[in-house]
Amino acid sequence: MRPIPFITRLRRLSRGLLGAALLTQAMLASAQTLDTRFGPVEVDDNPQRVVTLYEGALDAAVAVGATPLGAVLTRAGAGVADYIQPRVPQIALVGSARETNLEAVIALRPDLILAPPNLSEEQYRLLSAVAPTIVPAVPRYQPDSWRQESRIYARALNRAAEMEAVLAAIDTRIAALRARFESGLAADARSATLVRWMPQGAMVMSPSLFSTTLLAAAGFEVQDAGIVKPGRPHSSPLSQEKLSLIDRDWLFLATLDAEGQAALDAARQSPAFARLAVVKNDRVVTVDGQIWTSASGPLAAQALLDRLDQLATSLTP
Amino acid sequence: MSRRDTRPLPVLLLAAGAVLVAICVTSLLLGAGEIGPLDALQVLLGGGSAEAAFVVTELRLPRTLIGLTVGVALGAAGALMQTLARNPLAEPGLLGVSAGSSFAVTLALLAGASAATLTVHVAQLGALIGCLLVLAAARIQGVGNDPIRLVLAGATLTGLLMSLMSLLLMLDQRSADEIRFWIIGSLAGRDPATLYAVLPSLLLALVLVLLIARPLAALALGERVAQGLGHHPGRVRLLAVMAVALLVGAATAVAGPIIFVGLVVPFIARALAGPDIRRTLWLCLPLGPVLLIAADILARLLVAPAELPLGVLTALVGAPVLLLLIRGRRLPTL
Repeated sequence: MRPIPFITRLRRLSRGLLGAALLTQAMLASAQTLDTRFGPVEVDDNPQRVVTLYEGALDAAVAVGATPLGAVLTRAGAGVADYIQPRVPQIALVGSARETNLEAVIALRPDLILAPPNLSEEQYRLLSAVAPTIVPAVPRYQPDSWRQESRIYARALNRAAEMEAVLAAIDTRIAALRARFESGLAADARSATLVRWMPQGAMVMSPSLFSTTLLAAAGFEVQDAGIVKPGRPHSSPLSQEKLSLIDRDWLFLATLDAEGQAALDAARQSPAFARLAVVKNDRVVTVDGQIWTSASGPLAAQALLDRLDQLATSLTP
Repeated sequence: MSRRDTRPLPVLLLAAGAVLVAICVTSLLLGAGEIGPLDALQVLLGGGSAEAAFVVTELRLPRTLIGLTVGVALGAAGALMQTLARNPLAEPGLLGVSAGSSFAVTLALLAGASAATLTVHVAQLGALIGCLLVLAAARIQGVGNDPIRLVLAGATLTGLLMSLMSLLLMLDQRSADEIRFWIIGSLAGRDPATLYAVLPSLLLALVLVLLIARPLAALALGERVAQGLGHHPGRVRLLAVMAVALLVGAATAVAGPIIFVGLVVPFIARALAGPDIRRTLWLCLPLGPVLLIAADILARLLVAPAELPLGVLTALVGAPVLLLLIRGRRLPTL
């Protein structure tokens, strides 16, 4: 049994929706065409009902002043990420990053779907039958992936200029932070790793993620000791005998509880962790895992820079 | 009587003990890190660098000791369980004991306990309740311990508890990482202090095992025969269940659920020493940790500098052994 009848039903539904959309377009505005991973997609230049299926898309949309109707769960969370929740209190949840609830998407009657760059073609065919679906043609885990993605989402919302202003503000802030870290810390005291701690060891995050590239831009020399395979977001859990690989000047410890203290205490229980020089020197910085290991986008960048701001202030009051 | 029934037990035990010592030393010598066998050997002989001493005494020694304890407990529990159920497929993982234990720990972690504190007693209580539930379900029809019913009841309870556990994990995503680590069996990163916490129950289980070894052997000949020899099958079975729950609860509390050891080890023991529980049980004690620690050594070496989950390796090491035994001319039966 192949799910063709369902797809056919969706197509019929979409033809109806598309017809309605075309009618509105004809009355209100012209359409614009965007290049996506699955070819050119025509979108209304004033979309009203936007559904985001990716944390980076939600972030980018909210950053340029749009109010999406639906979004997906953040990793290990019961809703959207805490940093963005207050700005979208009414948002409907339409699945997780792994699994979209198609019925929930249809129920929102979207006129634009902002999808993750790694969306499968099968999913794309289903979603694009519901509304124009934007899948950025951006390679994942590259230093500037999040900026390129944010720009595409903003263009789909017809707010490209706003996005440039948002990104420029972030660049200014990064430059200021970089100056503070470079004056506060010697050049040979700025190496760093970002890890997720597990009781049996640590997972080292790739230096080309959203968070680690920002960390590097702010003046830190981010390392993975060559153990993150190309194209992967993080390493496998490291053996406790190899923890010296994360023993740099700074250790950014991503945690899933709000204040991070519990996670740090748990890590300190491990003798292999407690004896690292970076732990003894008290240069472990606990950071919010939702922002540092899961999210991406301009608002997440601002939240991340807030944490670095605190760090810089604690170094040079 | 086949030839393996007449092999003297002390010789078999001595040989198994020698293999166990060799495996334990190997476990101290090999790891995923830079400290090679020669550096580690220097530490064992009283020298070596500080780094090597730390790795050997603080990382490899605890996990070897944990492997030793857990292996003994799982091997003995498997032998008891198979005799009790008169079924060579019975193993703690299949009979709801491990699932009961994991479920109880999940509940405790969600209720706010930290993984380091109360889980030992919680895990043991959960194992006992899981075990009793399965026995009760299998006995409802009043047919005693019908092996098929026992395995079915165990599989059902395990499935039920696993799905309940997934539900609970979805309710509280933030605890999920800690629990997920816990429900993947592993010897690394476990607190060796939990060994002291489970020691009393292991000793209690040992006393129980000493008490019931002879009646269990009689029970293996049939309910009537055991009664005729003056034993009380109901009482023996209950004591055996308690011993299994104590053993598996302790093992699960220390290292999380570990599959396959309890199934394979009694088979190897029977292949070596024949079906008499009074012989296989003692042979399971050294063979359990041999299999477990061997799997743990492979878990460290295969994907260094990362490590594989131990449960993957116990199956990888155990399955070929079991297949060889099954393919053998004479299946070592109970």
